Amino acid sequence: MGLLQGATELFPVSSLGHAVLIPSLLHWKFRTSDPSFVPFLVLLHLGTASALLIIYRQQWVAIIRGFFTAAFRGQIKSDSERLAMLLLVGTIPAGILGVFLEHELKTLFANPKAAAAFLTINGFLMLGAEVLRRRAERRAAVEGKSRVAQEERFEVAEHISFRAAALVGAVQALALLPGISRSGVTIGGGLLAGLRHQEAARFSFLLATPIIAAAGLIEVPLLFSSDVPLVEYLAGALLALVAAYLSARFLLRYFRSGRLDPYGWYCAAAGLASLVLLTLNS
Amino acid sequence: MAAGLVALAVLFLIVAVLYAFGVIQIAVSDPHASHHYTHAVLFVALAVASLVAANFARPKRTT
Repeated sequence: MGLLQGATELFPVSSLGHAVLIPSLLHWKFRTSDPSFVPFLVLLHLGTASALLIIYRQQWVAIIRGFFTAAFRGQIKSDSERLAMLLLVGTIPAGILGVFLEHELKTLFANPKAAAAFLTINGFLMLGAEVLRRRAERRAAVEGKSRVAQEERFEVAEHISFRAAALVGAVQALALLPGISRSGVTIGGGLLAGLRHQEAARFSFLLATPIIAAAGLIEVPLLFSSDVPLVEYLAGALLALVAAYLSARFLLRYFRSGRLDPYGWYCAAAGLASLVLLTLNS
Repeated sequence: MAAGLVALAVLFLIVAVLYAFGVIQIAVSDPHASHHYTHAVLFVALAVASLVAANFARPKRTT
């Protein structure tokens, strides 16, 4: 579970959607009502957040320093200060929607057909983002050039507008729906904001870290209940950390020239196939 | 503008305290719980963000 969660959390394929669909399709019996299940999920998410903190440790030091410097000065004077404020603006909508809609959205968790439908929608959202991106590339007249040269015509994360950061942050909240990928919609949103693919992935991962870490830290007291097998759960979290670290490294390299299309087609096909199978099985 | 944002920060802090002590039960998953720390943390974060925005909005002295 640790390896699966760590690997799928950062890939734009919806870890939550797969966690709902796969047990249902394979008739696995998970006792999600077990009191120790939530602490287990908390530790897995802390493992993923730790992997992102390790990868971006130097950037996070600069971002935190930049946040306090800009906040006290009341002015932005460097790229790291601007990135800190963009991340703050991007985190607020997801935080508000996540806290207030969490309960309503969790009722969908028990419905695999809804997860399959959202996975299909997730696929088409990513494909749609790439269609719009190709249109932007045509406008920028970069057709015929190498992919790396095409990408260089677009922005780095520090240079997007605050409105775009807020929109990317707002779409992050869609990932509370099982089947919608957090990284998929935020990378797609970043592309629409004019970011390079690799920068959209970096902004997505940086944006995810405070939300994932905060959601995990708030639930930490649950870990100290007596019936939690802490050692086994910590081993799962460690595996999630390793898998998330390797996934993030792979994706950052992939997005130097790669696009969202393969993940979009995969999600659309997997969602539709799951929908058909679940309908036939019921 | 800056004064309005400071007032908003104070309001957010009050709401955070009310959620923390379970006085407010709006949009919560368990209406019988005595504390809603997740909501409280969110409103503290919003208060901090409002104070930061207020500092950005205040008039700056030109040197």
